[in-house]
Amino acid sequence: MTFSISINEAGVIRLSIEGELDAMTVSDLRLEIEKMLMRPIGRVEVDLAQLRMLDSSGVGALVSLYKQVRARGGEVVVVGLRDQPLAIFRLLRLDRVMVGAELKAPAGGTTAPKHPG
Amino acid sequence: MVQEALIRMQMLGVLEHRDVALRAVSAACKLVSRRPQRIDLSEFRTQVVSAVGEAFNNIVLHGYAGRDDGVIELDIETAPGRIKVELRDYGESFDLDAIPVPDLELLPESGLGIFIIKAFMHIRYRPGSPNVLILTKSVVPDRSAGASPNPSEDDSASATPNPSEGDS
Repeated sequence: MTFSISINEAGVIRLSIEGELDAMTVSDLRLEIEKMLMRPIGRVEVDLAQLRMLDSSGVGALVSLYKQVRARGGEVVVVGLRDQPLAIFRLLRLDRVMVGAELKAPAGGTTAPKHPG
Repeated sequence: MVQEALIRMQMLGVLEHRDVALRAVSAACKLVSRRPQRIDLSEFRTQVVSAVGEAFNNIVLHGYAGRDDGVIELDIETAPGRIKVELRDYGESFDLDAIPVPDLELLPESGLGIFIIKAFMHIRYRPGSPNVLILTKSVVPDRSAGASPNPSEDDSASATPNPSEGDS
C-alpha cells in the first residue's frame, strides 16, 4: 500500500490510497491519519480509485477517520471506489454516509444481509 | 467439461503470507467454469477472496495472536460451479455462534470479519486441533443472461451473494 496526502488552495485535504489497505498495512495509514488530524480539518476527500483490496481492518481505519473528522466539524467524502473495495463498502452500508452521490446504492439495493448466517 | 481440482498449501500463519493464499484462491475461482473467459466471475471472485482474506486474518490475529510459528493448512477444492476452501490451524479456537452481528448503523470499526465471511460464503467451523473452517460458494446460473437450460452443458453464469446457501 502507498498513500499520499495533499491540501489544495481551498484547504481540502486529499488522501489517496493505492494497493491494499488491510491488516498488514493499516498501521502505517493510522499513523498518518493521526498526524493529519493534528491540523485544522474541513473537508477530507479519500481517493480510492487505485485501491485494489480492502479488508475489515482497513475499513476500521477509514471509519475511524470519518468519525474523528466529523467530531471536529469536518466532512469526509470517499471517491473513486470500484471493484472489491466498492463491494465491501456496499456490504457494510458505508456508501450511505461516506461516498459521493455517484456511488450510493439505490434504495434497498445493498447486498448486505440483515442477519447473515 | 470442468475437472474437479484440489490445490493444497501450507504456510505460516503470518500476514505476510496472506497474499500468497489469496492469489491461489483468486486463480482457483477461474476453475469453477469450463469457459471462464466467457463469463463474468469477478463478483464471485471478489466475494470468495474477501471472505478467505478475513478468515486468514482471524487465524493470524486471534488464533495465533502474537505467534509467528503457527501453521495454516489451506485446501482449495473446485468443481463445476462451486468452490470449497478449507483452512486448518492449531491456534486458539472460537465460538462461531457467540460472535455478535455488528450493528452497521453504529458504523463499527471492528468485529466485521465474520460478518463479511458470512455475507459472502457459507461457513462451517469445527473447533479443535486443528480448528477447521470450511467456506463454500456456488456460482448461481443467471437465466436472464442467456444461459443454457442445462447448466451442465453451458456454464454461462453470474455469481450472486447467497449467505444462506448450503455446501452440497
